[in-house]
Amino acid sequence: MDRLNRDVYVAVVLLLFCGVMLWASFDIREPDYGVLPPSIWPRVILTVFGLLSVIYLVQSLKRGPDDPQAFPGEPTTVMGWVRYWWNPVICFVSFCGYLLLLPWLGMLISGMLFVFVLLSALGGWSPRRLGIHAVVAAASVGGMWLLFTQGLNVLLPTGELTGI
Amino acid sequence: MILENVAAAFGHILHIKTLILMFVGVAGGLIAGAIPGFTIAMAVVLTLPFTFSMPPEQGLATMVSVLVGGLSGGLMAGILTGIPGTPSSVATTFDGFPMARGGKPGLALGLGVWSSFFGGMISAVLLVTLAPQLARVGLEFQPWDYFMLVMFALTITASLAGKDIVKGLIAGALGLLVRTVGEDEAVGMARFDFGSEALLQGFDFIAVLIGLFAFSQLLNDVRDPASARTSLSDKGTIRARIEHLAAIKVIAKHWVVIVRSSLIGVFTGILPGAGGSVANILAYDQAKKASKNPERFGTGTPEGIMAPESSNNAVEGGALITLMALGIPGDVTAAVMLGALLIHDVVPSPTFIAERPVLAYSIFIAFFLATFIMILLQSGMLRVFVLVTRVRMYILAGVILGFCGIGVFAINNVALDLWTLLWFGILGFVMRHFGFPLAPMILGVVLGNIAELNLARAMAIDTDLTHFVTRPWSLFFLIIALFSAAFPWFQSARGKKKWTLFYMPAACFAVSVPLFMMGGIPRPLLAGAVLVVGAWVLYQRWKGGWTLAAYNGHELKED
Repeated sequence: MDRLNRDVYVAVVLLLFCGVMLWASFDIREPDYGVLPPSIWPRVILTVFGLLSVIYLVQSLKRGPDDPQAFPGEPTTVMGWVRYWWNPVICFVSFCGYLLLLPWLGMLISGMLFVFVLLSALGGWSPRRLGIHAVVAAASVGGMWLLFTQGLNVLLPTGELTGI
Repeated sequence: MILENVAAAFGHILHIKTLILMFVGVAGGLIAGAIPGFTIAMAVVLTLPFTFSMPPEQGLATMVSVLVGGLSGGLMAGILTGIPGTPSSVATTFDGFPMARGGKPGLALGLGVWSSFFGGMISAVLLVTLAPQLARVGLEFQPWDYFMLVMFALTITASLAGKDIVKGLIAGALGLLVRTVGEDEAVGMARFDFGSEALLQGFDFIAVLIGLFAFSQLLNDVRDPASARTSLSDKGTIRARIEHLAAIKVIAKHWVVIVRSSLIGVFTGILPGAGGSVANILAYDQAKKASKNPERFGTGTPEGIMAPESSNNAVEGGALITLMALGIPGDVTAAVMLGALLIHDVVPSPTFIAERPVLAYSIFIAFFLATFIMILLQSGMLRVFVLVTRVRMYILAGVILGFCGIGVFAINNVALDLWTLLWFGILGFVMRHFGFPLAPMILGVVLGNIAELNLARAMAIDTDLTHFVTRPWSLFFLIIALFSAAFPWFQSARGKKKWTLFYMPAACFAVSVPLFMMGGIPRPLLAGAVLVVGAWVLYQRWKGGWTLAAYNGHELKED
């Protein structure tokens, strides 16, 4: 396994994805009308996609194992991996939390909460920082919310619990 | 009739609300373009939600303003910190930063600002004159030709990934595939919905664009905890006063550089896929080759700032020519502009200028006016830029992520779009990490429908597939698509493999065939000229004994 590079794994994932989508394309209903059945175009794309993925796999296999110097700074241990990806993972998780809280707290409160938590997770939890983050979150999301609701007359979701 | 339309367009643009929005747009673009890590496309795509509730003329004028501001903003960071604000101003740092460090930051900024202005003006003039002409050519296109034009746009964009062209093509195919999810537009059948109501609606393509481009970029910007907590001003003192008069005098002396670089910019912009990131390097390279003192390049020579800055501003005029005349976006930013037109129910095509003249002229006028506003605002924005550079990167990223949420929701008032934003943000981040270029995927998402609809139309007219190779325009696009797909291999093998000696002549011979087939007088004449060029290159190679010449050039790569 050490002889494989990371592109090989990506190519295998792409081929699997292509297989699943090709299989799903057989669930597309064919109507009695129209010249171009709705499954044809996706299948054309998937055929090209599959061929390109095979070329990518062959190229990657030919290249041999990754050069340890090719990705400087990338982690090799589990803890290193967690540290390396910590910030993006925090962004994903807090954005997911924001979306889950949206129906309950509404766009204004959940948006402020999201920005505050995200900034604090990325920038630190010292009392001074928390204060700055709270002000930034309230001003940015509050300002944007006002602009959209009052200035552009866009209806933003209200929360079941908060009513705003 | 034209005057009436122009007057109506002026009426829209000179409206006080539109003017204020344009000033705000240029200012926002200047700041967004100046911050490294925030691309112009990101600034333009984030403007989309604001324009949704505006009339099309006003919305488009605002977006054009952000675009023009963004194109000029990159130079501030590039010259003062040596870190280009956008990929379009990479070459500006080669001479801008040394000049600023050499004690002339004001002159360097002045040269950048005024070169941007003249580049924008030249490209605006060409936009107004060339777009209607190209639209006339576009009227000849039938569905087969359009389908092939889209394929060409995708392959040439993928080819900018250089030696990673396979990854570029995979990204393009993935973009096309994403657009097939949901009900198909031709007959309304569900595709890849996996029994989910949400997937049946398909992915909102603006949410996809913001996710792929803005969300993933922000995740990238904060990936490294140390740099996320630093600000740009930590990297050096950022203080300067723009020297306008001195800069204009230098530019007047080197006006040829401005004209040549602007033309390079416009024609790079016209080519689908090739954006400012390519044009600024090309223009710098050409300025260096044409200079009497090429050795001064890289040490702070004025031409080294003028060439990239005039070309990168000229690019968007070129990209808008293709967008407005053919409905095909010239680059990612133009793809976002296409999205803006689509949310206002305007579908660009060769008949766009004829059918929506007021909107078309509004875009032209906005482009001109925004360039003037850019000059007015540069000095003021430099002070704001100094303030913004004190803000830590993670704060900027967090605030913009919060805005992404509100903005995406505001477009359709559908909460599911926010999940689309998240998933495509993750996908874009992962793709960036594994070296897949995002530009072909974005073009694939934007052009997927156009390709499928034209394929369906072609099949409805005639099921004979040979039309794709017997119709001159279709064959023309097919040939240049194949040669552009092979270009990265040619570039890497150039000077090493014998077959590369035949690449250019073969391309000339092949392209001349559809040109001959088009009939009339000018096009066969052009075909003859192309044929002669091919034969001449072949003759030179034969005379040189088929020897391989060493090649030392800049590798062109889309960021």
